[in-house]
Amino acid sequence: MLEYKNVSLSCDGTELLKNINIGFKKGELTTIIGPNGCGKTTLIQALNGSSRLTAGEILLDRENYLSFKPRIRAERLSFLPQIRQMIPTLSVRSLVSHGRFPRLGFSRKMSAHDKELVEEAMRRADVEKYADQSADTLSGGVRQRAFVALQLAQDCDCVVADEPTTYLDAPSQKQILKIYRNLRDEGRTVILVLHDIAKALEISDRVVVMNDRRIITTGKPDELIGSGIIDSVFGVKLKSFSDADGKYYVL
Amino acid sequence: MITDKKISVKTTYIFILVAMLILVFILSLSLGSVSVSFGNIINALFGKGSSSSEVIIRGIRLPRVTGGLLAGVGLSVAGVVLQGVMNNALASPNTIGVGSGAGFFVMLSFILFPAKVWLQPLFAFGGALIATLLIFALAYFSDTSRITIILAGITVSSFLSAGINLLKTLNTDIAINLNSFLVGSLSGISFRDIALPSFGIITGFVIAVIMAKPLNMLGLGEDVARSLGLRVGAVRFILLVISSVLAGCVVSYAGLLSFAGLIVPHICRKLFGNDARLLIPCSAILGGSFVMLCDLLSRVVFAPYEFPAGIVMSFVGGPFFIYLLLRRKGGRRVNA
Repeated sequence: MLEYKNVSLSCDGTELLKNINIGFKKGELTTIIGPNGCGKTTLIQALNGSSRLTAGEILLDRENYLSFKPRIRAERLSFLPQIRQMIPTLSVRSLVSHGRFPRLGFSRKMSAHDKELVEEAMRRADVEKYADQSADTLSGGVRQRAFVALQLAQDCDCVVADEPTTYLDAPSQKQILKIYRNLRDEGRTVILVLHDIAKALEISDRVVVMNDRRIITTGKPDELIGSGIIDSVFGVKLKSFSDADGKYYVL
Repeated sequence: MITDKKISVKTTYIFILVAMLILVFILSLSLGSVSVSFGNIINALFGKGSSSSEVIIRGIRLPRVTGGLLAGVGLSVAGVVLQGVMNNALASPNTIGVGSGAGFFVMLSFILFPAKVWLQPLFAFGGALIATLLIFALAYFSDTSRITIILAGITVSSFLSAGINLLKTLNTDIAINLNSFLVGSLSGISFRDIALPSFGIITGFVIAVIMAKPLNMLGLGEDVARSLGLRVGAVRFILLVISSVLAGCVVSYAGLLSFAGLIVPHICRKLFGNDARLLIPCSAILGGSFVMLCDLLSRVVFAPYEFPAGIVMSFVGGPFFIYLLLRRKGGRRVNA
């Protein structure tokens, strides 16, 4: 279980996170939603160790997560950031194999098991057929799946991704969100930041609503709809529809 | 199939580069104001040649050619590393002022400790490191565009070059040919001159090869690298120190040789792609050939007269640099 306990974060006198208290359970897919600039990305970027917390602590299975060495952190929690670069001419397979870096020794040589996990990750993200293609020549959707494959190759129990579906068309979004739901089904902790409220409500076990650098509320999608909190934070009306395939939300 | 074809093409390129390196090395020993046949080179190298050919080969050309080879390795690998760390295709020891930083401090060591030749590489390393960290801090802490970083580097470079000129003007009796130093030259170097720098260059090269994978990871962006468990700050610092060691060591005996650190990595990117694991060794091989070839041309074109190798390099490098700038302006990708 991943827990934020009384976490605050400031930069140059500006409060970026205000007293965050939340836990993310195993086998649960949680999405974090909120208006632009509310602190969603900062909340999960705190896991990356790039900013020092001004108060509180982040616990992973009751251990102080940020006190781990960077490699140990990367073995236990994978984080796919929003902003990424691409190395021109680097093949998809090479890109995905970077996911094994935290577990490689000094020689940085991959074992047969590492290679197997890389192939498996590409298969699960459906980028196997692009394995030898330069990642910078791929379409946005396939490139995004290649980065998700990199995260899968990391093979962590806790999986965090920041806006993994932004700029993608509907089929690509569906494909990527299915990968994260499958990870949840395997019993992993999955945390996503999404800007698409309807999609977040549709796929999540639990939703965290943020505003003004703090957590406003958390709950199951239906509970949140019923409470009217989403309407007040985002200023939009949400309606839900059900059919044989599941539940859908429309703004 | 495509992969196999690509691998075989790259293998062919590597063979060509290695063959070129050997050929240029032998030609550099053979040609000059006095030509020495291949047989006489071998005899001279093993102490069985005539006294004149032994003096020419072992005393003059071998240290010079070895110095050229190492200079090419040092500058090219420093270029690959700087381009990767700064995520800027236009970065190289010369374009960001690292060479001038090293040059300024070498001049200082000439003035302050004229008898202590062994201090020059250390001073050069110190100067290179200060200039590197200065430009890197500018790039890192400000939201500055890549082109602005290069312009800042050129400004720092000009500032330090003015410092070099000032030091020379105020100390007319120091034993250095300023013109050769400023454009870069391998003329008259001995094994004593390159003993310590060669150790620095070989060590820097080996560490750069070891750090190739982390260098690749920096190319994916700081956040991704960090999330994969890379100590981004430490890796960047180590790589910058390596590039300073490499560039500083070269400047300490060859002066401000320009452009090798820019041109060679770019040619290698075209041939081998952007994977630093292949790019670093291949740039080292091509860089060695390039500097040796420029030095050879500087000796044979107007033989028996010669001019500094840096002039040949600038004639080739200047237009190439403009080509890169124009290509960027056209919006085509050349980033590291």
